[in-house]
Amino acid sequence: MGTLGWAVRKIGGALVVLWLVATAIFIGIRLIPGDPAEAIMGGPGSQASAEALAAARAEFGLDQPVPVQYLMFLGKLAQLDFGTSYALKRPVTEVMAEVLPKTITLALLALAAAWLLALLFAALAMRANRFGAWLGSMVEIVAAAVPHFWLGAVLIMVFSSALGWLPAVDNGTGAGLVLPVLTLALPLAGFLTQLMRDSLATAMSSQFALAARARGESRLAVFWRHGLRHASLPALNLTGWAFSSLLSGAVVVEVIFARPGLGRSLLSAVLARDIPMVTGLALFSALVYILVMALTEAVERAIDPAGAAS
Amino acid sequence: MSTESHPSRQEPAPLLTVSNLSVSFGADVAVQDVSFTLSAGRALALVGESGSGKSVTARSLLGLSGGTVTAKTLRICGHDGLALRDREWQGIRGNAVSMILQDALTALDPLRPVGREIGDALKVHGSNSRAERHARVIEILQRVHMPDPELRARQRSTELSGGMRQRALIAQALIGNPQVVIADEATTALDSKLAALVLEQLRELKEQGRAVLMISHDLAQVAHLADEIAVMRRGKIVEHGTAARVLEDPQHEYTRTLLRAVPSGIPRFVPLSASSAHAAPAAAAVNAEDPTLALRAHNLGKSFGSHQAVDSVSFELPRGTTLGIVGESGSGKTTTARIVLGLQKPDSGQVQLLGRDFAPGKESERRELRRAMGAIYQNPLGSFDPRYTAGQLLTDALSEGKSKRADGGYRDGVEQLLEQVELDPALASRNPRELSGGQRQRLAIARALAPKPAVLVLDEPVSALDVSIQATVLDLLDRIQQETGTSYLFISHDLSVIEHMSDRVAVMTRGRIVEQADTAQIFGDPQHEYTKSLLSAMPRLR
Amino acid sequence: MSRLSKILAWLFIAFWALTALAPQLIAPGDPLAINPAQAFQAPGSEHVFGTDESGRDIYTRVIHGAGDSLFIGLAATAVGMGLAIVLGTLAAMAPRWLDGIILRVLEALYSIPSLLLALLIIAFTGPGVGPAIIAVGLSTAPGYARLVRSQIRTLKNSEMLEAATVLGRGTWLKIRNHLVPNALKPLLALVTLGIGQAVIWAAALSFLGLGTPPPAPEWGAMLSAGRTYLHLAWWMSLFPGLAIVVVAAGATLIGRALGGKARTI
Repeated sequence: MGTLGWAVRKIGGALVVLWLVATAIFIGIRLIPGDPAEAIMGGPGSQASAEALAAARAEFGLDQPVPVQYLMFLGKLAQLDFGTSYALKRPVTEVMAEVLPKTITLALLALAAAWLLALLFAALAMRANRFGAWLGSMVEIVAAAVPHFWLGAVLIMVFSSALGWLPAVDNGTGAGLVLPVLTLALPLAGFLTQLMRDSLATAMSSQFALAARARGESRLAVFWRHGLRHASLPALNLTGWAFSSLLSGAVVVEVIFARPGLGRSLLSAVLARDIPMVTGLALFSALVYILVMALTEAVERAIDPAGAAS
Repeated sequence: MSTESHPSRQEPAPLLTVSNLSVSFGADVAVQDVSFTLSAGRALALVGESGSGKSVTARSLLGLSGGTVTAKTLRICGHDGLALRDREWQGIRGNAVSMILQDALTALDPLRPVGREIGDALKVHGSNSRAERHARVIEILQRVHMPDPELRARQRSTELSGGMRQRALIAQALIGNPQVVIADEATTALDSKLAALVLEQLRELKEQGRAVLMISHDLAQVAHLADEIAVMRRGKIVEHGTAARVLEDPQHEYTRTLLRAVPSGIPRFVPLSASSAHAAPAAAAVNAEDPTLALRAHNLGKSFGSHQAVDSVSFELPRGTTLGIVGESGSGKTTTARIVLGLQKPDSGQVQLLGRDFAPGKESERRELRRAMGAIYQNPLGSFDPRYTAGQLLTDALSEGKSKRADGGYRDGVEQLLEQVELDPALASRNPRELSGGQRQRLAIARALAPKPAVLVLDEPVSALDVSIQATVLDLLDRIQQETGTSYLFISHDLSVIEHMSDRVAVMTRGRIVEQADTAQIFGDPQHEYTKSLLSAMPRLR
Repeated sequence: MSRLSKILAWLFIAFWALTALAPQLIAPGDPLAINPAQAFQAPGSEHVFGTDESGRDIYTRVIHGAGDSLFIGLAATAVGMGLAIVLGTLAAMAPRWLDGIILRVLEALYSIPSLLLALLIIAFTGPGVGPAIIAVGLSTAPGYARLVRSQIRTLKNSEMLEAATVLGRGTWLKIRNHLVPNALKPLLALVTLGIGQAVIWAAALSFLGLGTPPPAPEWGAMLSAGRTYLHLAWWMSLFPGLAIVVVAAGATLIGRALGGKARTI
């Protein structure tokens, strides 16, 4: 498969996924009982003004037949017009442009931290004895089982309340990022270490590792030249999933550390039942996921062009 | 560090001197009191079956056994192997002593270009210029006759053909210009042509004055290259002598067992193992008056995308006889077997079983007919339900899936089947995972025999087994054929097994049968060029 | 699984079952009893886990909270796994075109991070325990469905089923004797791993104020309350969170012992 064909297929697949997400949201809006206009404007309890309801009806074409509404809905999304957040009274795209970079920075930093930690632990586990290996796997399992909202609280208690080393809320400096990033990275590192350890052990006990040793390479060299590549592949394969779980975690972490971002905006949109905002954020996170998936696949193709490990 | 600077002595001292070498893993002694010497320009073969300690012996010569090594003497190209520290070992590995491992697909990192893999040996030993390393890699690839070396050096092992991969593997062992080359099962699991290629390369090494240590389970393959043969069993050398002496006048009982187990040149139905119950070779118990063919395949064709896997394949299998299909991997033999078994729908052609249409066809219509045909695979474990014990597997087969209770009404039937394949009835309560490879294959045969089939399709049934175990399983198949008149479609890449087991042989390559004739005709007077080339590559003892 | 770990696993399950079904046996107090005079007591002999801002005993609340937290987790797993088994099996057995459609739909659902998908669902349904169960169930279903599909696919194409075909077994016998029994064990492992994750997600929703409302003693809701007093009363956050970690890690351990892989949940 050529690179061009691959790219075309990826873009096609991405469009299908985005279309399906949009359709699901459209069906979701229609499933809310009562007046759809009222639903879009925050549900029956929101007591939206008559003008607001009229505006929503016009914007979503609610006086038209359902298929026409559906096409109008898709048409607007295709023009990247997500409408106006009724709660914030601002265009959804504007809000997203503000919050998205913050969340993505947080998620990327956490991803990098998790990778580093996982590689470090996996390499350490290689040298461990039986007890060390058992202890290591326990730590991984517990790390992977720790909820973000509690880990964040514990980290604040220890490093902010007790030791006073790091700020509990984002104060704009790098130090303010440390705790949120760690909160997100630690559970993910637990998952990744489990994966890397397995594939690292397989690679290091493989025939090609033995052949490399028989050529005179040291254990360390075999680890760098062979082990690391093989250990990264399955973890790399999961990067799409990992990034997606980081976005989930970001919702909670942004609440705990009072950071503005996609997660907190989504939460307040959900609490206010601000459907245009929710739609835009959902589609955007799907788009981010698709982009990350395509990126990882491209990296995988570079490491393993023949698809040997899949 | 290089060993070339050592002062040359009056007479060539052995490159390897090993005396009373023992290797243990905890309480488990893998190698015990092994002694031998190996000089430049000579080849020694360590022959034994799995678990005999031959590979551990070879690895301890590189300091890579992973166990506790003790010895009276362990001299490796002038170094004292017992006193070497890890860094010093690294100086020897790849430089003075190098190793060719068994499977080129797994012995080369699939994620790195083979040129880099080969060049790594130079990097380790202090060659730092990238251009210089590249030049050496290309040079060594040319020396092992790699076609288009510049291109191949950039590719990964998965992109190379089997032959190129083997050449790359040999190249990575040669680039450090070692005095001793260890070939650890370097020909195992290879098609005979590829194996011949590797043996040819090893012969060149020997003629260049290097010492070659071959590790193999196959006496026939080492016969023409080795000057000396040491037979290993359970960690010890049981017999050691010149190749001619060991092969022609074996002293130890185990050596004789191994030699007898090699099937090439042994007539049909003559037992390969001493333990086999049937003594007299006799033809199969067939009712010769029944003219119906057991199996008939006509003009089978199957393609996967643009790849023509099977192309106009036709053959006939008379009752009570064996048709051998031989070919290299990728020749289409397994796809043919799957079509015959009704597991793969052919693009064209028909299969008839006992004169009735079998494939292609509707599963519900041929289900009744399936009783008449059984299958045996290379790895039987995958074909067993992992939850079943041996007894449950056979009960399931006998009851046609209605019962799996081992103590029910099928108990006698299960016992009979186990006896028929010479398995201890006490094994009925075991899970197949706890059985040895030979026992598993016997269990698979027992299961296939449960519906009393007229035809067995055997796809590489003994390829994963040690020679002596292979011999007993082949003898069992012979006996069953004589007793029951079952017809065999016997598929293998191993010419000697095919020669011993078949009445007729079909030679397959690239999806086609290029030659089909009686066994004696194929092996005595082959007509097709491909058959001739296969046969010339076939290692022979007798 | 060794004998000892089997016993430990059953003890673990029995303990939490007892805690969820009969909390008063372990913690006889009233989890909702307010005693402002006793507010913000640090853990001590009188209150082992301390008290909260209204003087309620944290230990009693953690024990009594097991019922709600575990019920939401179990119910959400049931919803998610039920859907996943149906969709995954359908996709695995279906002709290629239908498999393709199901896969695409799953991929679309999978492309929205679980918690975001759960929030999306709650945006349509409004908050509450029922919506939380549905939201967690639906948002975990796509991942499980893909695993179920690949497991059934592997089994369907296994040599074991081919051997059964060669022996002349009909479709029904193959499904009953081999496919279903062999699919069950990995599914059980998956369910066990899933319960741990569902408890976390459900607690996360309560923590965000979208699940069980306060003052019910649900672990996530307790953490949410504790957050306000993080600098003042660390015990309010520590103990409910520990309970979640113990349940989730225990479920993971059991799931792994049953042969489950840690990935893609």
